[in-house]
Amino acid sequence: MTRALETESHDTATEHTAASRSEEAEQSRLDEIFTFQELARLDEALTMSSRETGLRFTLYIGDLGKRTRVQAEEMHARSGAHPTDSVLIAVSPGQKVVEVVTGAGASRRLPDRACALAVLSMTTSFASGDLVGGIINGLRQLSDQAGHPASLRRH
Amino acid sequence: MNTVEVLLVLVGIPLAVIAVLALLTLPGGRKRTRYKPGQPWDHAPVWYEPHPEHPVDAGHGPAPSSGPAAVPGASTAALGSSVYPEQPGERNTDSQGGAGPAAAQGASAHGASAAPRRVDAGPLGGARGTW
Repeated sequence: MTRALETESHDTATEHTAASRSEEAEQSRLDEIFTFQELARLDEALTMSSRETGLRFTLYIGDLGKRTRVQAEEMHARSGAHPTDSVLIAVSPGQKVVEVVTGAGASRRLPDRACALAVLSMTTSFASGDLVGGIINGLRQLSDQAGHPASLRRH
Repeated sequence: MNTVEVLLVLVGIPLAVIAVLALLTLPGGRKRTRYKPGQPWDHAPVWYEPHPEHPVDAGHGPAPSSGPAAVPGASTAALGSSVYPEQPGERNTDSQGGAGPAAAQGASAHGASAAPRRVDAGPLGGARGTW
């Protein structure tokens, strides 16, 4: 069993080259919150739902302040070049709040009722302590609801 | 086969097997506290975004010039949702021409913490839930 990401790294930086990627990972402690396996699942879920639907799903995990909805909408507006077609899932585990924000274009494909259903399934998992599983199930529900538009079909 | 040998074979070998299996399966190293509902969340905020689909043809999906998303007023930049964070300027290596790369270079000059500009997304929808 090879665990490339968990091997001890050596000092590979020279005067002309940067340190290896594994050293960067060690320094920044990317797996502080989730394990690398969980990060890979989140990665795949985000990327595949974005590719399937043509919408851009982003996931925020952290504090949302006192006015959670306002803060989530503010972040959605800054989430990229085209927030109209993007969906922000903001989870604040400390406050036990999840907010789903859809842009104007995305909300035509993802009505509020569908978002509420996905949020319900997410909160069920969150309440039992399963953050990653809830997020992935929510993403799956959202992308199933949004569907695969004909303009994205190539074969 | 005297008593000592019997003990060695019938007790020692199973214990050795159990010890080896325990060493192989029990996790070592750093402990990660599992999230339990109601406990405070002390981690720094993170923002994951999907990989860009085709960096070359930016006809739809995220534009390569969009730059990393960032929390306003905080030093949180969206990571590429991969295990390794996106390096500044990495995103625009494949984009060709247009006004995008110039804007992206301007953004990357300020580092990843520069908040991208606010874009109006029309009437917003969505849902909210608590647990």
